Amino acid sequence: MTKAPHELREIAGWMAATDIGLLELRTPGATVRLGRRGEEVVTLDHSQRADAQLDGPTVAPDRNAAGLHPDTVTAGSVGVFLHAHPCATVPFVRAGIEVLAGQTLGLLRIGVLLLPVVASRAGTVAALRAGDGATVGYGAPLVELHPF
Amino acid sequence: MIEILSNVALATVQDLGRLGSLRFGVGTAGAMDDLALAAGNLLLGNEAGAAGIEIPVFPFKLRFTADCAFALTGADCGARLDATPLLPWWSHQARAGQVLTLGLPQGAQRASRALLCLPGGVDVPEVLGSRSTQLRGAFGGHEGRALRKGDVLRAAEAQRACRTGFGLVPPAFALPQEIGGLVALRVLPGAEYLGFEAASRDAFWAGEWRITAQSDRYGYRLAGEALQPVAPMELRSHGIVPGVIQVPHSGQPIIQMRDAQPSGGYPKFGTVIEADLWRLGQAPIGSRIRFIETHWDEAVAALEQKEAWLAKVARMVALRRSAPMGAAA
Repeated sequence: MTKAPHELREIAGWMAATDIGLLELRTPGATVRLGRRGEEVVTLDHSQRADAQLDGPTVAPDRNAAGLHPDTVTAGSVGVFLHAHPCATVPFVRAGIEVLAGQTLGLLRIGVLLLPVVASRAGTVAALRAGDGATVGYGAPLVELHPF
Repeated sequence: MIEILSNVALATVQDLGRLGSLRFGVGTAGAMDDLALAAGNLLLGNEAGAAGIEIPVFPFKLRFTADCAFALTGADCGARLDATPLLPWWSHQARAGQVLTLGLPQGAQRASRALLCLPGGVDVPEVLGSRSTQLRGAFGGHEGRALRKGDVLRAAEAQRACRTGFGLVPPAFALPQEIGGLVALRVLPGAEYLGFEAASRDAFWAGEWRITAQSDRYGYRLAGEALQPVAPMELRSHGIVPGVIQVPHSGQPIIQMRDAQPSGGYPKFGTVIEADLWRLGQAPIGSRIRFIETHWDEAVAALEQKEAWLAKVARMVALRRSAPMGAAA
């Protein structure tokens, strides 16, 4: 799960719009640290060291390594997971309801931006794995789906 | 292209206003919620000041006669594209033949006007530097009038492929301003402010003001404790701008809005600062509002804060629009 340069650029862009000073992305293969230097976000460290040498994880690891259910929808970006639209009081989904592929399950708030978190397939919502308003890292489990 | 299906009047084509023409006696017009118009345009990659459609009366229906991206901002009115519910403050993609329906404004942050933006803006001619509808002069916008059933409008860049399917946190959440749950507006004391009784001045800041049914794009008539002048004031007509709070003999203030005439003779109690006019533009008839006394530096800072929010929107949307297509949230 190596991040392509364009993905890193996008993540650096998201980060520049927040007040996050340091962002660490860790996968079994590599670790990338993005840091703020004045107005710029730069790559501080791009190491191949084993995870064991680093401190406690700040970002969800690879879904297989974490034993995630294959139909768990994960965060495509760092952000704040929202169960409902800011204008609404009713959440998009709750455990037990059936959803269609592509249906909006929640939102990821990144600064002023709202991105949809959508169902990867049709199924039943088994659980919301991140709380409403929780700050989540890239790849964090958000919604667990069970196929019909 | 879109075709208007509703016969309700008062929906108009608006941009950020016909600025610089007051000296010719031409009012500014422009979107009552300029922040929603600018944000809707930015969602589509338009210039912030491109022309959109301001919709104040619901339900409102239109049909897309060709595939077209669009953005909905302003009032959350339970919009649907055919039967599919749409999120507010969001960019969407319509297919030819689909019908967009806007219902009554809903939610705790009930607003009163929806803004519909199209790629490149609504394609109407520019008159005196603006595409806004000047209702009083019957020019600008679409044939100088409110839209009606059967009108067909074109997006300036109808063919442009637009990245859609994302939205914004509405500015009412990002830039909230309330006192006791009521929308609050910052006001600069006006030229005749000291001509009113001290008790009236105190009551103006301390009291709640109801927006009466005699309120529209021209001006809002308020109801509250009547403002008493120390002595009757008779003034020659002079230039006024949107936001000016006039006090006629009844003592019940009138706030000039975007379609205000450019001159008037009533005493000026104060001016709602430019940065807060969008909040007032969204305050529904029958709702109550409060006022906060402010000064020049704070009014300028408020304008900068609004610009900063829009700059943030522009930057984040540009990142989203340039992201690889596979990247989902």
